[in-house]
This record gives sequence, structure tokens and C-alpha cells, in this order.
Amino acid sequence: MTAPFFKFGYFSEDIGLVLAIVIGIGFGFFLEQAGFGSGRKLAAQFYFTDMTVLKVMFTAIVTAMLGVFWLGVAGVLDLSLVYVSPTYLWPQIAGGLVLGAGFVIGGYCPGTSCVAVSTGKADALVYLGGILAGIFVFGELFPAIEEFYISSAYGTLTLPEVFHLPYGVVVFAVVVMAIGAFAAAEWGERKMAQKKENKT
Amino acid sequence: MKNFLTLLGLRGRLAAMAIVFGALAIVAGDPYTGAHASVDTRQLALDVFEEKDHTSTEQLAGWIIEGRNDFRLLDVRTEQEYAAYHIPGAELVTIAGLAEYPLRRNEKIVLYSEEGIHAAQAWFLLRAKEFSGTTILRGGLEGWKATILFPRLPDGAGAEEKAAFERKKLVSAFFGGSASVGGTASATPSVEMPKLAMPVPKSPAAQQSGAKKKKEGC
Repeated sequence: MTAPFFKFGYFSEDIGLVLAIVIGIGFGFFLEQAGFGSGRKLAAQFYFTDMTVLKVMFTAIVTAMLGVFWLGVAGVLDLSLVYVSPTYLWPQIAGGLVLGAGFVIGGYCPGTSCVAVSTGKADALVYLGGILAGIFVFGELFPAIEEFYISSAYGTLTLPEVFHLPYGVVVFAVVVMAIGAFAAAEWGERKMAQKKENKT
Repeated sequence: MKNFLTLLGLRGRLAAMAIVFGALAIVAGDPYTGAHASVDTRQLALDVFEEKDHTSTEQLAGWIIEGRNDFRLLDVRTEQEYAAYHIPGAELVTIAGLAEYPLRRNEKIVLYSEEGIHAAQAWFLLRAKEFSGTTILRGGLEGWKATILFPRLPDGAGAEEKAAFERKKLVSAFFGGSASVGGTASATPSVEMPKLAMPVPKSPAAQQSGAKKKKEGC
């Protein structure tokens, strides 16, 4: 059997939806366990007092990347069937900035706000309402911004293609980068904690 | 060594593991399966034996007339041949370019060439790459001409054959061909191909190249 299972038709769309719920609950559970159900903790990332978000994200990236790479090499996973979002450079930069601003202001990203709602956080409920309102406004405005929305399309890009490097080299570089970021984050956290102590 | 590992603690060990797997990745090669494929020979043989590997010209003509766009029709002949005539909605693909051509594995794919050899070779390549909905147009383009564009009612045909022929006439007219009565089959190749204004259904390739975003991912 070769993955991705759905693309090879091992199960139907209905089963796929059931599996999506199971995987989604698992995803939410681990986000909550990482402390991502708290807006304070998430916002602290942007003040560099708590680098948990960065550490959890890099851990997830490295784990998933190594898993996908080695399963691909082993022939268990057909990477050509794994979906890669196409790049629309400028619209995605703009979208990233909007999302980032919302993240700092509200203390959540869309996924973590759902996690926080599930544990009964009132601020997250307001945030979720904001998301829905934003989706509605976006939908209504769409004809006006459609041209920008589909501009600077580069198709599906991957780092090995962009840098003309072998996949393995990029994998190693990302691992090194992640561990470097981890070390820097812990060092930064200690510095910030010291500063706080000196103040009090 | 053992002391060293216990010194690292759980997080250190995980980090060390990531570095080891990351470093090994450099020499592990390409994770994409690339040009290599494996084939279930028994399944392929069975499909050929049960004639699941074919689409008849009548079936294809029916799909095109209905305007269906749930299949891809691939022409694996040369550019010149394609320019001279191709079945409405067909996309030109060389066999060498097949691997890079944007096809999805859950699509119904119909291949044709002049007589069928190239189509059969392309069929094998696609099946090896798990494009399980791939079929060959029975008789190739020659078959298409003989049965759809220029059907011929043989002399002394029965009533049933004549009734079927009336339907064939309509189909032939739809594709810009012409039906004829009597004569021998050997006269067929001399018939000039009509210059067709093609009744093209919306081709899936044209839809794909548009700026429409796929509804996938997060």
C-alpha cells in the first residue's frame, strides 16, 4: 500500500471526512497540550518572552519533514501526490501580514482560536466571530480584489527547486536551522527572564 | 556512548536524532519516485484479457456528443498529425512528455494514436505509474475514421444493420464526416479528411490552466 491513501482510492470521500474529524481532534488536542489554547501564551511569542510557538512549530516542521522525506525515499509515500499550495507571492505576503496583525491583536491564529473555544475561552469566541465576519467581508469584497488575489502566480514551488539544491541538502539545512532557532530561543528566553528579574 | 546519551536528556536525544536523520538525508537521494515505477503484471494482464483496457469509438463519440468533461482524451501522435486532424477535445502529448503532463490518477484517460501501438505503449507507462483509469481507443484514429467519421453500409445489409446505420449517419454528421452506402472497404482511405469546425466540449486542460485555485490545503 502506498500513501497518500485517499489519492490512491483506498477509501471514499465519506470515510475521508470521518478521518478528517479524528485527525482534526488529534491536532487540536496537541495544540492545546502545547499551551496554544491561551491567547496570552501565543501573544507572548511576539514580545519574545515565551518562545513556545516557535519551538512547537519548528518541532512539527522537522518531524513532518523527516517523516515525509524518509517515507518518500522508502517508497511508502508518493510525494508527487502530496498537495503543495501554489505560490501567489504578493497576495500571500499581504495575507500573511493581515493574519499576523490579527494574531498579535487577538492573541490567536484561526486554528488555535478553535482550540481555545473548545476549552471555553470567551476571548476566543469573540475572535472566532471576527474570523467569520472577516470571511464574509472578504467574500463580499472578492470581485474588487480578485485581480490582486491571483496575481504573481508562480505555481507550486519548493525550496529545492528555488535554490537548485538536492532534497537531502535542504532537509539537513532545515534541521540545522531549527536546532539553531531552538537554541537561540532558549537563550533569548533566559535573557528576557533575567531582565524581568532585574526590574522587580 | 551510553553515558553520553543519558547526559543529553530526552530533548537532546531527540535533537541528535533529527540531526542524524537530516545528515543521512543528504546521501539518501531523491524522495520523489521519479522515473521508476513498479507494475502489477497479473493485474495488467487480467485487464487486457478482460478488455478493460479499451474504450470503443462509439463510446467516445457518445461522450463528446453529450459534452461530458469527466475524461481526458490524449493524442500521442506527432504535432503535424495532430494539426492535420484530431478528435475534438483531444490534447497533444508526446510519450516522452507523458511523465510531466498534468494528469491526475483518479481521472478517466483515453489514449489514441494512428493505429494503436503508441497508444498501447503510453497506456502501459501510465498504468505503471498507477493511472488506473487509463484506456486505449479501440482501433486508434483509423478506427475512429472507419466507424465514426466515414461509416459504410455494406451491400446486402439486413434491416437491423440499416437501422443502426441511420444512427451512425447522424453521429458522422456531428463530427463533420460523411456516411456512404455500398462499395468496398478498400476505397475508404482515399477519402479526404474534412476541415472540421470542431464542436469542442470544454476541455479539462483549458480549465486547469485558468487561474482557478484548487480547493485543497489549509
